[in-house]
Order: sequence, then structure tokens, then C-alpha cells
Amino acid sequence: MSFLSKIKVGAGAIALCGLMAGNAQAVDLQFFFPVAVGGKAADTIAELTNEYAAANPDVNIDAVYAGSYQDTITKTLTAVRGGTPPQLSVILAVDMFTLIEEDAIIAFDDVAATDEDKALLKAFYPAFMENSQTGGKTYGIPYQRSTPVLYWNKDAFKEAGLDPNTPPKNWEEMVAFSKKLTKRDANGNVTQWGLRIPSSGFPYWLFQGLTTQNDVILANNDGNETNFDDPKVVEALQFMVDLSTKHKVMQPGIVEWGTTPKAFFEGQAAMMWTSTGNLTNVRDNAPFPFGVGMLPANKRYGAPTGGGNFYIFKDSTDEQKKASFDFIKWITAPEQAARWTIATGYVAPRPDAWETKLMKDYVADFPPALIARDQLEYAVAELSTYQNQRITSILNDALEAAITGKKDPAEALKEAQKKADRILKSYR
Amino acid sequence: MSDRFNYDQFLNTLGAWFLGILWFLPIIYAVWTATHPGEYATRFDLLAPLTLGNFVDAWNAAPFARYFLNTIMLVTFILIGQFVLCTLAAYSFTRFSFPGKDILFALVLLQLLVMPDILIVENYSTMRALGLIDTIAAIGLPYIASGFGIFLLRQTFKTVPKELEEAARVEGAGPIGILWKVYVPLAKPTYLAYGLVSVSHHWNNFLWPLIVTNSVETRPVTVGLSIFGSVDQGIDWSIITAATLMTSGPLLIAFLLFQRQFVQSFMRAGIK
Repeated sequence: MSFLSKIKVGAGAIALCGLMAGNAQAVDLQFFFPVAVGGKAADTIAELTNEYAAANPDVNIDAVYAGSYQDTITKTLTAVRGGTPPQLSVILAVDMFTLIEEDAIIAFDDVAATDEDKALLKAFYPAFMENSQTGGKTYGIPYQRSTPVLYWNKDAFKEAGLDPNTPPKNWEEMVAFSKKLTKRDANGNVTQWGLRIPSSGFPYWLFQGLTTQNDVILANNDGNETNFDDPKVVEALQFMVDLSTKHKVMQPGIVEWGTTPKAFFEGQAAMMWTSTGNLTNVRDNAPFPFGVGMLPANKRYGAPTGGGNFYIFKDSTDEQKKASFDFIKWITAPEQAARWTIATGYVAPRPDAWETKLMKDYVADFPPALIARDQLEYAVAELSTYQNQRITSILNDALEAAITGKKDPAEALKEAQKKADRILKSYR
Repeated sequence: MSDRFNYDQFLNTLGAWFLGILWFLPIIYAVWTATHPGEYATRFDLLAPLTLGNFVDAWNAAPFARYFLNTIMLVTFILIGQFVLCTLAAYSFTRFSFPGKDILFALVLLQLLVMPDILIVENYSTMRALGLIDTIAAIGLPYIASGFGIFLLRQTFKTVPKELEEAARVEGAGPIGILWKVYVPLAKPTYLAYGLVSVSHHWNNFLWPLIVTNSVETRPVTVGLSIFGSVDQGIDWSIITAATLMTSGPLLIAFLLFQRQFVQSFMRAGIK
């Protein structure tokens, strides 16, 4: 065989390889997702992912259920440190600083090539973007987002002589209504509490509702300074404690999250503050007519946002990053966002999702779904700082100490601020 | 004298019944909740309608059949691995002398003090280096060299009289023969007790399996169970208790069947 023909054969083989690769070379993406709202959400994610994969044969998406939010961040960080990160994941918006510090994720600005892509970063509600941007860059795309709202039992309102269609508008009304709604039996034992604000595990989230209504923020946008000992924060905590101790309208001590909806269904509490993620659950299971309203105002209306964002991970090829971004664009597009909202109760994170026919039909049939969206106007970013896990657990400990009566609110918060300062000093 | 005796026995019986009922209460609650519709979860009514719907819903919420198979393969794999490795290690610590023996044994004991959760990242890197991410072997391997198992078997082997070993040697048995014919049979209660602890621990383990696996083909039942613990939406007690009974059922039944042997083996092995 001559030298020339060898080259020909070689070239042919290379060309052949190229052709085969062109057909078969699909981009593989691994996608971690948490589930905080029950099995149905996992099915919806799988359904949407399969639909995308069917329409885009050049992408393989391996959607991996990764447990609760807490489990998902643990699993993801372990994988990142072990050198096999997923390509994309839904993780709490408040973990953004942690992921940046681990150098695990990239900014969406780095993959947004066209003008259309860049416009996407502006398509979402500003309240959700507050937790998704820092230093002028966007690190998260809102997806599984929620906000707390007030649910009330209309039958209980009627029974207490209140207008069943008017929820309390401010703190004074909330206390006054709750007093009327709290029922005691002959021995003085409470059979129905007026109000239930769950405080187990992560009390800071609903507490942030109170602080926002008291017109104060808990942490700055750079995530390196907290405000825990501000007099307005102390005032908010005092109010929360007073609900059980002074006004006696809320069950004293730590109130469980998981059992809150059940207690509401059973008539053990006439009003509850909890996530919009519960909307579908309450709609399916409440044995009485119920109302959904914004959290009551004090100095202003206010609520934190919550839930998870999409992140793209650094340690992937450029094709994978681009494919991840394309998938995120598709799954957060108005039509898909609407389906996700209807299936789970999460708040569709962009205004145009509420303009789709699917969504319009849904809210026409079930107007309470609109409350969470309308409240977004007053919503602020969920508490998020560098060393987020440590800072929130400092605040949680302080809140628990005050709620259980171990410490005075002012004293507890002052200590928390001191501890937080010590940790965040090096980030300023 | 006889009065005093009765008084003691009465207190003992009372205490045993009290503890027994206390231990059994959650299971009774789980059975009650799982077999009745959701609205009876916190209300007791003898005439409440019975239903198996919760079990059906729970079974359909995740591919439990596959998860069960995975869990059974996992605990079997771990148990066999632990038995082989711990037996050999314990034997050499008991009957052989070699340089560094004490230091090595101290290292084994040190393992008892380390929480496995601290090692998650390190274990993950090792499994990745071995190319085992997302396999059942990866869930089990970090637990095979069990310090607890080695320690327990060594203590048991130490109680075996030297004379038995010498007699076996006179009969012509080699080191492996002695281990197999003298030590292992005499340590049977320890094996049974340790096996029970190991199986129930790994049956219930959650975080490490969740982290190191990604697919239905490798994940154990606990990962399937976790889908019901949805804080954002409130917990549906009926389904979660049905799922819990379902996943812990095989262990519970096995325990009830072999209860006498287990209790005896615990008493003989000295773990209480």
C-alpha cells in the first residue's frame, strides 16, 4: 500500500468517525431537583423533562431527584467537591452566596449570547431576582418560587361574627380577629386558636414577613451585613411572642410546620400563615370554604420570597452549559411555567406566564391563586448572606429562644447580631 | 421475704408493660392512620371506614418494587462483606501477634468515634476514583470494614478457651480450619446480633445512598420514602404512615418471626 493511499484510508476513517459522531453525539446533562411539595411535583418535573428530551433528540437529560432542599445542596456540594458536579440543579435561592463561594456555578450573563437571551434575564418579577443577582450578575433563574400568604377559615369567621370575606388588613386587626376566633371550652382549654404562624425548623422565614411589614430588612444585598438588633426587628419579634403570651391567640412554644395545614383542616386554628406551595393541598383537602389573603400590614405590606432557582455549574463543557441554558429557557417559558404553577401552587415567576390562556382559565376558576402574585409587589428577598447556613441558624436559635421564653427578644437578637458580625466581618 | 419478692416482680412487670406500650404506641398510631382515610388521622372513631387506599397511593408514588430489591441486595452485600472482613480481622487481632498490632487495633477503635457523615466528601471522591458512583457497591463499600464488627467479634473470640483451639490443632487443623470449626460456631450469637444491627442500620440509612446514587436502579427504599416528607405542602399523615409501614414492614416481620433467637443472641453476645 502506497503512502498516499494510507492517507486516504486514514482520512476516510476520520471522516467516517466525524459523520457517526455527528449523528450520535448528544449532549448529556445531569439535573438535580429537590421536592418540597410532595410526589406530584416530581412527576411534573419528569413529565416536562421527557417532553423536552423528545423534542430535542440531541440532548439527554438525566433528572435526578435529590431529596429535600437541604439534601439537594448537600448532594450537589459533595458532587462538586468530588469532581462530578451536575450540569444544572434547582437549589434554594438563598444558597447563591454559598455556591459562589465554592466557585461551583457560573453567571447566566456568561452564557447569554444573543439579545433575546439577555432579555430573558429581565423577564422575571424583580422580587424574585433580588435573590438571584449579586455584583451586577445573574446567578439564578427563578423557578420553584413561593411566598407566604394568609389562609383563613370562612366558617370560623362567620361563627365568630366576622365578615367571612374580609381578612385582617393589619396587625391590630389580626390580633382583634384572632381574639374573637380563639375558642375555649368550659375548663379554659383552647379548642380553636385564632392564628397559627409555624416556627419549627426555619422560623426566620415567616419572621421575615413580620420584619418586612415593620419596614426593616434583615440583611443587605451584598450578603455581608445583618440588621438583627435593629429596634424594628426587636419590635417584630416582641409582637410574635406577644401573640402567645400577651394576646393568647396562638399556641405557645414552637409551632410545627408539617402539621400546620392539618391543624387548619381540623379546625384547630382559624387562620394560618404558610407557603403558597400549600395552595393545591388546601384546595383539595379543606373541608370548609377558605380564603387566601396577603399577609397583614403594619407599617407596610410585606413578605419574603422563598424557594429554589436554577443554577448552571462551572465544571462542564461549553456545549453542556449552552444546552443547560436552552433547557432552562424552555422550562421557565410562560407555557411551561403556567403548567408548573397549576400542578404545584408555586408562583409563576414571570408576568407573561400569567397572560397564557392556561393560566387565565386557572385563575378564573380559582382566584386565590392570584394573591401570591399580587403580593410580590411588596415582597423582599429571603434572608441570604455569605455563610448562609450559619447565619440563618444563628437567627433561628435566637428566635427559638425568644419564642420559648428562654430569652428576652432584645437580648436574643443582640447576641445573634454579635455572632453574625463575627462571621461576616471577613466578607466586608 | 416472700412479700418483698412479689413487690419487686410487680414493679418489674409494670415497668415492662409500660415500656412495651410506650414503644408500641407509634406503631399502633401508624397502623390506625394508614388504614383509615385522611380525615381520621387525628380523630379516633371505632366505626371509621377502613381502607387500603393509602397503601396503594404510597406504592404508586415511587417505584417501590425496584427500591425494595435494591435495599435487599444492599444489606445482603454489606452483611456478607462485613462478616468476611470482620471475622478475619478479629481473628488476627485475637490469636496472632505481629508488629504494630496494638496501633492497628487502636485505629480500628478510633473508627468507632468518627461519625460517618463527616467522611461523605472523602468517601465520594474515593468512589469516584473507583468509578463506582451510582452503584449499589458504592453505597455499601465504605461500611464493610466495620470497626464495631471487628471489635465485637474480637471480644467474643477472646472468650473462647485456648484449650479448644489446642485440641483442634492436635487434630491437625490449620489456622483457617480452627477459625472455621472452633471460633465461628462459638460466636454464632454475636453474628446474629451484629447482623441484626447492621441490617437495620443499612435498611434505614438515607443520606449517603441519596448522595452517591442517581438512578432508580440503585436507590434504596429510604430515598423513595423521603418523597413524602414535603414540608412546603404539609405532611399527609395517612400516606406517610402507610409508606413507613410498608418500608419497615419486612424488618418488623422478620423481627417478630425470629424474636426469640434475637433476644437470646443479644443476651449471649452481651450487647444490651
